[in-house]
Amino acid sequence: MHAPSPLVLGLGVVLGVSLIGFLAGTRESAYEQPSALPGEEEPEGATDQARSYREQRLSARGSGSGWDKDLADLRTLAPDRLDPVDLEGTSKAEDLAARAARRAYDGAPPTIPHPVGQGGAAECLACHDEGLRFREVTAPAVPHDAFTNCTQCHVVESGPVPGKVEQTDPRAVDNAFAGLSSPTAGPRWSMAPPQVPHSTRMRESCLSCHGPLGANALRSTHPSRESCSQCHTSSAELEFRPGGTP
Amino acid sequence: MTIDRREFLKLSALAAATAAASGSPAPAEGATSPDGVRWEKAPCRFCGTGCHVVVGTKGGKVVAIQGDPSAEVNKGLLCVKGYHVALALYGEDRLTRPLLRQGDGYVPITWERAIGIVADRIMLDPAGFALYGSGQWTIPEGYAANKFMKGGLSNNHIDPNARLCMASAVTGFLATYGVDEPAGCYDDLDACDVLICWGNNMAEMHPVLFSRVIDRRVRGDDVTLIDIGTRRTRTTAQAQHFLQFRPHTDLAIANGIAHLLLRDGTYDKEFVEKHLAFRIQSDPPDLLGKASTFEEYKAALEPYTPERVEEISGVPAGDIRMLGELFGRRDLRIVSVWCMGMNQHTRGTAINCLVHGVHLLSGHFGRPGDAPTSLTGQPSACGTVREVGTLSHALPGGFRVDKDPHRKKAEELWNLPEGRINAKPGYHTVKMWQQFSTPKAKGGDIHTIWVQVTNPAQTLPNRHLLLDPSRQDPDKFLIVSDVYPTATTRVADLILPSAMWVEKNGMFGNSERRTQQWFRQVMPPGEARDDCWQIVAVSYELFRRGHPGMRDKDGKWIFHTTDGNGREVPIWDWRRYYDVNVDKRLFEEYRPFSRLKHKDLAPYDEYVSARGLRWPVVKREDGSWTETRFRFAEGYDPYVKAGAGIDFYHSVTEDGRAQLWFYPYEAPPESPDKDYPFWLCTGRVLEHWHTGTMTGRIPQLRRAMPQAYVEMNRQDAARLGIRDGESVILETRRGDLELPVWIDGRGAPPQGSLFVPFFDERLQINELTLHEHDPFSKQPDYKKCAARVRRKEA
Repeated sequence: MHAPSPLVLGLGVVLGVSLIGFLAGTRESAYEQPSALPGEEEPEGATDQARSYREQRLSARGSGSGWDKDLADLRTLAPDRLDPVDLEGTSKAEDLAARAARRAYDGAPPTIPHPVGQGGAAECLACHDEGLRFREVTAPAVPHDAFTNCTQCHVVESGPVPGKVEQTDPRAVDNAFAGLSSPTAGPRWSMAPPQVPHSTRMRESCLSCHGPLGANALRSTHPSRESCSQCHTSSAELEFRPGGTP
Repeated sequence: MTIDRREFLKLSALAAATAAASGSPAPAEGATSPDGVRWEKAPCRFCGTGCHVVVGTKGGKVVAIQGDPSAEVNKGLLCVKGYHVALALYGEDRLTRPLLRQGDGYVPITWERAIGIVADRIMLDPAGFALYGSGQWTIPEGYAANKFMKGGLSNNHIDPNARLCMASAVTGFLATYGVDEPAGCYDDLDACDVLICWGNNMAEMHPVLFSRVIDRRVRGDDVTLIDIGTRRTRTTAQAQHFLQFRPHTDLAIANGIAHLLLRDGTYDKEFVEKHLAFRIQSDPPDLLGKASTFEEYKAALEPYTPERVEEISGVPAGDIRMLGELFGRRDLRIVSVWCMGMNQHTRGTAINCLVHGVHLLSGHFGRPGDAPTSLTGQPSACGTVREVGTLSHALPGGFRVDKDPHRKKAEELWNLPEGRINAKPGYHTVKMWQQFSTPKAKGGDIHTIWVQVTNPAQTLPNRHLLLDPSRQDPDKFLIVSDVYPTATTRVADLILPSAMWVEKNGMFGNSERRTQQWFRQVMPPGEARDDCWQIVAVSYELFRRGHPGMRDKDGKWIFHTTDGNGREVPIWDWRRYYDVNVDKRLFEEYRPFSRLKHKDLAPYDEYVSARGLRWPVVKREDGSWTETRFRFAEGYDPYVKAGAGIDFYHSVTEDGRAQLWFYPYEAPPESPDKDYPFWLCTGRVLEHWHTGTMTGRIPQLRRAMPQAYVEMNRQDAARLGIRDGESVILETRRGDLELPVWIDGRGAPPQGSLFVPFFDERLQINELTLHEHDPFSKQPDYKKCAARVRRKEA
């Protein structure tokens, strides 16, 4: 569905920018930080100190870190749908909590844990079209097609404005909203395949969350099968299908 | 917040019963899904797009939101504000009790006392009381306010914040078609070949409508997007053409297009002959001007050659020719959209008329995909302000207080004694606040303003002049109804806590003439109560004290309400307010007004089962109520006679013709000079809605856009030795403000231009803007004034 031409055009420019941004974002975000990348741990207030060339090269953004591999190389590193799936030692509760940390409620568009440019969908799709993994950071594939204004729904997790004017904020920061939590499992009869426990609106591509790049415990044990809905039905009530109202 | 369980059950049962009674085919109407979440429709609280959301509630609280898949406006999609709209209910500092100023602080008081204080202030001098409302008032709230003021107090000092927002669009429609609001609708966005954004950053301000157009490209449609703007934005990023113009020169661009259509003979001769009359400015200037001729029109446009337009506007002559050629082609469908860029303009009425004119002259009107369409910023700027007429000169349904037959008809519909309605228009927004900030001894005859659902301390231009003096004057009293502490409540004398959005029943009217309805789904926190109840309760208190205006011709209270058995329901008593559906009672009373300008509204219950209906909604022979997609166009608009093709049936010339205006380009009231060398533009950002009182309480949005900034061009910054992120002092002749600089940030202004968003309560840019306004719409220009930037250390 995505026209390849803007993608191809945007790739060269975008790769560097978005990946640098990605890594910078994981460092600066105050929320749900992925574990620090090697060479990226910095003491508070150290930003003003110049780094040596060696330090720079070895840092997460340095030339020795591998971020400048091209996308094709990174894609080859992605796990394959045919790889055996081992869910041993994974925790669904942990993975759901990590997922929830980026969403106001189940079904809300997740926030973006890295800075973004103003270039539109081509920038986002460079990584998020097919999805890829680099070290411990995963860029999930877009689970919904046909939308090209990504930043309409997805905003960065923390502020993009470079500077700050110190002001006392008269507003309360806390919000008592308690969002709907993610379902933990779909209803099933005996050993039958479970029903999809969430609405599939905006989640048309199951593999985005349940495929090889998905969070451990959310992964399907059989991602190589093509037709998910053959065995896993969706809920008429959750989909608001006619007659689905109880 | 604690919920009275009985009340909650009663509420749920009521909503469920109504949904069942309406026989709604729509899915999820009051349905409960397996996870125990109850889903019900509501329009989004924020902008004028009018998306529908499905609200998920559980345990008396909203827990989730979905885009409504059965809503035509948004087809299941929302923007980031819409997805997080429910969080706006739950900020920790919701106002929950009436508060009265005492010394430097506030003390909580009872509602009874609060209503009494409002009544005391009115009784002091009813003619010096003013009500300042909003395009966020629901339709019934605005209607109650308008009736209370004009029909009850015989006082026309009621005006909305929409004056600051879309008044010039209204005057543009009136001057051109003789009746307000766009003829087209959002369906045009699905059919157009070319979309022109006139000074409009649609990608951030109306994102759902924007993606409705650009997502068509993914499906293989060829849509040309032309951004005519003064800075690069996210809209520019998606546009094929960016026509960068010097602020204020959009009039020259529109005239340049008309010039080319005439020069090349590519205008629509048949359309002009059959459907248009010519109009120019009169002396003294008047909204309706004076009649002109085709020859005069042609001669006036003669100087606007592409080269001359390039000189004025900075847009290359080649790009003007491109626009001329596009409009000259009848095989293309062209939609023009605009919002604050054309409206917050000291020549706002003029540029609105000229853009309508370009579409009319070229015949790009009245077919799906061919329309000049203004977008609104507030959810019910159209429904409440423009249709209910909460403006200082208006009555419901497009009637005016200064026209004898209009007043007479309104008095008849309201069952009021003849002469009750005051014939003199009240004060428009800027004037109202000026009078409030002028001492009584110097003619400042407004002593009390009651503000509802808006935040003038942050949105009025030049507040040092319009608001601050009143706060030092013991004769002046400010009452504010709101949901959170705001810049306005912080200077109020009396604060009234309000219910918001799905904490009350409501109706909105969006930018495409669509009237929407929703039911209360959760209870408001603490003692917060509906704005409509607040007005009704004050009215009853005045009635009780014997104010004669609160009685109709038969001596009955003007908001007298009965149940199904004809027994009076004491709706002034909060405990009984929801015993009947007050919205329905007010809407049914308002409906007959909608017939006067053929803006027919359907019965209330029709809206319960629909995701909004676009007026005129007319009853067909089979008894069904049918909405209208394209107004004035045969086959779509039931009021256009067969064979007419197009009929402007509210023509000011009373001959079915629209007015084709000529207005010259003229210089703005303030331009950059050697002391203040920059243009300063203000506006909005995707994440925050207007003054950010709601979105600023939503953690996801607040973190994504934490504070205001000044966008500056990289070359300008380099020249001044300013680094990205550095704090600078921004100054105009009216004030100064410290802001961090953002270079190549969200938007990128050209050299010599600056941009500052107005959402940040702590960094209020409107203290620096002009209060000069359009002569007809009285709407101020927030988009351009002269400014300078100073390094902090320098």
